[in-house]
Formats: sequence, C-alpha cells, structure tokens
Amino acid sequence: MNTVFKIYRFDPESGRNPRYQYFEIDVTKGQTVLDALIEIKAHKDGSLVFRRSCRSGICGSCAMQINGLNKLACETQVEDLKSKTVTIDPLPGFKPIKDLAVDMEPFYDKLRAVLPYLINPDSPPTDKERIQSPEEFKMIELATSCILCGGCTSSCPSFWADKAYLGPAALVKAYRYVFDTRDRGYSDRSGVVNNKHGLWRCHTIMNCNDACPKHIFPTEGISLLKRKVVEEKY
Amino acid sequence: MDRGIGSGGAFAWFFQRISGVFLLVALLAHFWVLHYVSGGDVTFQIVAQRLATPIWKTIDLAFLVLAIIHGFNGFIMVIHDYIHNHNLRLVLVSFIWIAGIVLGLLGTITIISFQAPAGGGL
Repeated sequence: MNTVFKIYRFDPESGRNPRYQYFEIDVTKGQTVLDALIEIKAHKDGSLVFRRSCRSGICGSCAMQINGLNKLACETQVEDLKSKTVTIDPLPGFKPIKDLAVDMEPFYDKLRAVLPYLINPDSPPTDKERIQSPEEFKMIELATSCILCGGCTSSCPSFWADKAYLGPAALVKAYRYVFDTRDRGYSDRSGVVNNKHGLWRCHTIMNCNDACPKHIFPTEGISLLKRKVVEEKY
Repeated sequence: MDRGIGSGGAFAWFFQRISGVFLLVALLAHFWVLHYVSGGDVTFQIVAQRLATPIWKTIDLAFLVLAIIHGFNGFIMVIHDYIHNHNLRLVLVSFIWIAGIVLGLLGTITIISFQAPAGGGL
C-alpha cells in the first residue's frame, strides 16, 4: 500500500523556515511508523533526523506527533492509521532541535525537581528489603510504568501556556513516590508540587491520558496528589 | 531549577470545589423556587416579597458572595495560566480583586437595603 509521509523538516543551520517534506513509500502489513522513518532515512533522505532506540515501546525515544496525536512511532502501525497521508511532527511544546528531535532537557529538569527517587531516612531492615504489600503496590503500579517519552507533557495545553509548569510526567513521578508506602519524602516534594507552576495548573483537560502509550492516566494521579496536598494542609 | 516555591494554590483550588458544590445546589434551589414554588409566575411583586425577608436576604447574600469569589478566583487562575510577566500579573490580579470587592459591595448594599414596596397588592 503506497502511503505518503508528510514530515516536518527543520534545520537550524540552514536558516530556512521549517517546512514539510513528502515521501512516498510502499508500506507492508505490520510496518510501523518507525519502520517507515528508518526506510525513508536509509533509501530516500539520509539527512532526516529522529530519535529511536529500542523499537519495542519501552525506551520512549520515538515519541512524536503522528496525524495530530502524540504516539510512539514504534508502537503505531501505519495500517492502523487508515490514512493515505501520514503527517509526522515533532512533539509539540518542546523546542525543536532538528527535524523530529526536540530539546528534552527542560522536561528532565522538571523530573529532577520532584526528586524522583525513594526518600527514607530510616535504614532498611538488615535481613530483608523494605516490604510493600501487593495492595500498596497497586496504588502506584501504573505510575511506575512511565517510560519518560514526554508524550503526556507535550500534549498538555496547560504546559503549552506555561512552559514552567511541571507537566503530567513530572507530577505522575511525584505521585509515584508520594503514594509509595516506603517513601518519607512528602515534605521535600510538597513545595515543588504545591506551587503556581505545579499541581494547580492542571485543569483536567485529560489530553495526557490519551497520549500516554502506557495507559497510565496521569490525570488520576495528579487529582489524587491534589487531594493529598489539601488534606495535609487543611 | 527555580520552582518559585511560595504561595501554592491549594486553598484557591479547594475553595473552588467547595463553592462550586454550594453554587450548584443554590442555583438549582433558586431555579426551583423561582419557577415552580410560585407556580411559574415570575412577577416583580412575588420576587420582591421574597427578597424582603431576612432568610432570603441571607441566602442571596451567601449566593452573591460565593458566586463573586468563585468567578473571580477563576479569573485569577486563568491569569496564572497565561500571564507570566510578574508586573502585568500584579496589575491584572489587583484589578480582579478591586472589581470583585466593588461588585460584592454593590450587591450587598442592594440586598441588605432592599425593602418590598408598600401596598401594591403584595
């Protein structure tokens, strides 16, 4: 099946404005958008820039906007898109570096801001791990599966309006540790999440829920975190 | 990274939920009383008679105050969403506060001082 790929091209060194370039390739059944991009880069235009690593939906490198929705290119089969022209843009809201590669550094800064690691001043038992029941783990299970692709934060209109907003990915990471029964770091994180650029910029638009390739439902985690902050304060 | 730790926003968010629930109930009650209790006859006489009673003054005053704070709190949230220049934000939030207080005072004066017109078949 011949499919046209309309791909966003941007090269800051050329001084030219961003533009779309069209490539037509014969797509076979089961071929993913990432496969198509690799084929285009190999046979049509070697200068095309995009990120990819695992090709298995676990590294989060190939998140991009495909036909207007943030998806992982490696998990999206061209056939499922049911369109003769597939439009591919870089993740919106992030600064494009070149073609489909965007600057993820501000995204990682926000992730670091919520202290994404276990904080517990008590020493663990010497003869076993810090124990957590299956029920306790269930609270955070989905949130632990985040692959940091940035699809959720990039789809969030609150983030588009306020680039300092932590965004769903960082808030889900905060949720993942705040609601971890082994963690004692709530007071360290509360100032970061209970903040003008934190939780309260989320207006439950829920684009993040649709964008997440791991079906984490960030809005739910953010809402539980909001409730936790209010309960702690009042 | 400077996260601007400070005024938070937890209270504004929480208040919006509580006042929202009150306003929903109050609005439904208002609709019901206005259009069903009085047989659907919305005339100045009927409304004035009700508004002149202390209990309705109290209800309408709570309705007014919470509606104004709920609405203007929403405006302030929109300002925090979209305005990132500190000085402009200060000007706009100050304007919202002043406008809210003025409107609240005007409404309060109107409700408290309201008296049903004498006679006129009330």
